[in-house]
Amino acid sequence: MIGFLIVAALAVAGGALVITARQPVHAALGLVGTLLSVAVAYVMLDAHFLAAIQVIVYAGAVMVLFLFVIMLLNVEQQRPAARWPWLRWAAYASGLVGAVAVAATALSERRPAPDPAAVAAVLQGGSAERVGTVLFSEYLLAFHLVAVLLLTGVVAAVSLVQRAGEQPGGEAVAAFEEEPTVRASEPA
Amino acid sequence: MSVPSEYFVALSAVLFGLGAVGVVTRRSAILVFLSIELMLNAANLAIVAYARQWAATGGPHALQGQGAVFIVLAVAAAEVAVGLGILVAIFRYRVTTDVDELAEVRA
Repeated sequence: MIGFLIVAALAVAGGALVITARQPVHAALGLVGTLLSVAVAYVMLDAHFLAAIQVIVYAGAVMVLFLFVIMLLNVEQQRPAARWPWLRWAAYASGLVGAVAVAATALSERRPAPDPAAVAAVLQGGSAERVGTVLFSEYLLAFHLVAVLLLTGVVAAVSLVQRAGEQPGGEAVAAFEEEPTVRASEPA
Repeated sequence: MSVPSEYFVALSAVLFGLGAVGVVTRRSAILVFLSIELMLNAANLAIVAYARQWAATGGPHALQGQGAVFIVLAVAAAEVAVGLGILVAIFRYRVTTDVDELAEVRA
């Protein structure tokens, strides 16, 4: 229980950093903290494979992509003049009310903690073998659709960031063709 | 000893609320995007918590919840790749990521 409270506090602190930090990089690092805390919560919930995927894919790959784009675009700090100044406080109030309402409802219906032995008998720790069995049997169609979706996403991302009328890798080829003598004189 | 599932659902609700507030209040499109990721993770946490609760009651298909979370993770990764590509493309034409200034993009 103490472990859960620590994890929950870290996750909420990271989330608070995401929505309040002035520097975008700080917000991204706050989200990394939240993602790692959620990974620990996955371990508590007998989902060990998902915890590993969460750390590798989310806290690793996706957040590195975010940090790259933040640094690439050099996002300026937020200016104080918002179009609707009252919106910030209305959003904080309504978000607080909504989150507290749902959390209080969930906690008021509290049942005793599930028996770890019964959970382990079904989930078996959420190992890669067990989750993979589900993915490759009942979720086989969804799994293949995800493969198509990822391919589409890669093609879309490349075509989006490519300037109009530009060949892929065109700059590198042009740079190579411009100074052939320099490259020819380089030691092999 | 294990923690009751309701605590995880409550944590999920708080994280989702934080993400929703961030979507409304942040003005840089990248930070709006970060808040959306926060909401996605809150939903995933709730699904995993419910999967464990189902397993405790002897449900034979409780692992489907974890499989669903895996697929949500993959979809979120694809969404990030495309979304950040769109942001970079917008930034090239408008040199801003402020959602207030980009509001006239809507049809």
